[in-house]
Amino acid sequence: MSKVGLVYLLIISTVYLFLAARDRQKTGQSLRVAGKSLLKLVPLLIAVFGLVGLFQEFLPPELVTEWLGESSGLLGLLIGASAGAVAIGPPLAAYPLAGSLLDAGAWPPAVAAFIVSWISVGIVTLPFEAQTFGSRFALLRNLISFVAAMVGGLLLGMLL
Amino acid sequence: MMNMVRTQWLLLFTVNLYLYAFSVAPERAANALSIGANTLGSVVLLICSVFGLVGLLQTWISRDLIVRLLGREGGVKGLVIATICGTVLIGPAYIIFPLLMSIQKQGARWAVITIVLTSYAVKVQMIPVEVGFLGWPFSLARAVITIGLAIPTGLIVEAFMERRKL
Repeated sequence: MSKVGLVYLLIISTVYLFLAARDRQKTGQSLRVAGKSLLKLVPLLIAVFGLVGLFQEFLPPELVTEWLGESSGLLGLLIGASAGAVAIGPPLAAYPLAGSLLDAGAWPPAVAAFIVSWISVGIVTLPFEAQTFGSRFALLRNLISFVAAMVGGLLLGMLL
Repeated sequence: MMNMVRTQWLLLFTVNLYLYAFSVAPERAANALSIGANTLGSVVLLICSVFGLVGLLQTWISRDLIVRLLGREGGVKGLVIATICGTVLIGPAYIIFPLLMSIQKQGARWAVITIVLTSYAVKVQMIPVEVGFLGWPFSLARAVITIGLAIPTGLIVEAFMERRKL
């Protein structure tokens, strides 16, 4: 995986050099934005990867298969989507956690529902969404996005 | 501010879990810590690059441009543009929601707002990280399905919103 990272870093650096030749100031600003966003995320990254370690060491795979495994079926899908809806944090944090679940034997549709609802359904941000758009829209959107996350998970199961 | 409390809450939670784990089973806790550190180490370059891209997108594709694109187009084209905007738009809820509300006030449809918030679950710039943890087939299928469901989700929410007016 670190090889992929190196290639990716090389590509992005090339783009930066290319853009710096065109507009130095704007590219410098891009770099500052990048650094600031990354720095802001450092505590969270430490927390998430710390959790990944704990998951892999202490979470019994049987527990994951029981709750989120293929045999758990629709209940697993519902649990995955609900966990995602309650969880908060940027998408970047969802992937490593989802990866550990998948490794421990979770059903891919349940994991997909977890990721999608992590990002597009937010119980914690619901009050804020209601305040901005009105409660009718906020409730409808979150409810329908929650269902869409589960439908998307099932579709993924059929595709894979 | 809210964001800071959130991130620190998770960090605090994790630190406490580790403290507990170290007091109960120090060897296994150390093992967990090294697994976590190794996993982080294996993606640290990728994460740095992804944020390089995040910085580029934020300065070269301005939010004003996105607002103009979304407010202007009403038809199917508008819905497609909304889907694309959602996949590249980044930022916490407290920036995205007011931004979208201002678009709605400028006359954008409810479907457009919902579509942006749905396709938001696909992050183009994060795809390398997702692939690293979940593999190509999973990541690709998830992206395609999420994007495919964005427009139907938007239209359903809009249909419910419009019903109230009748």
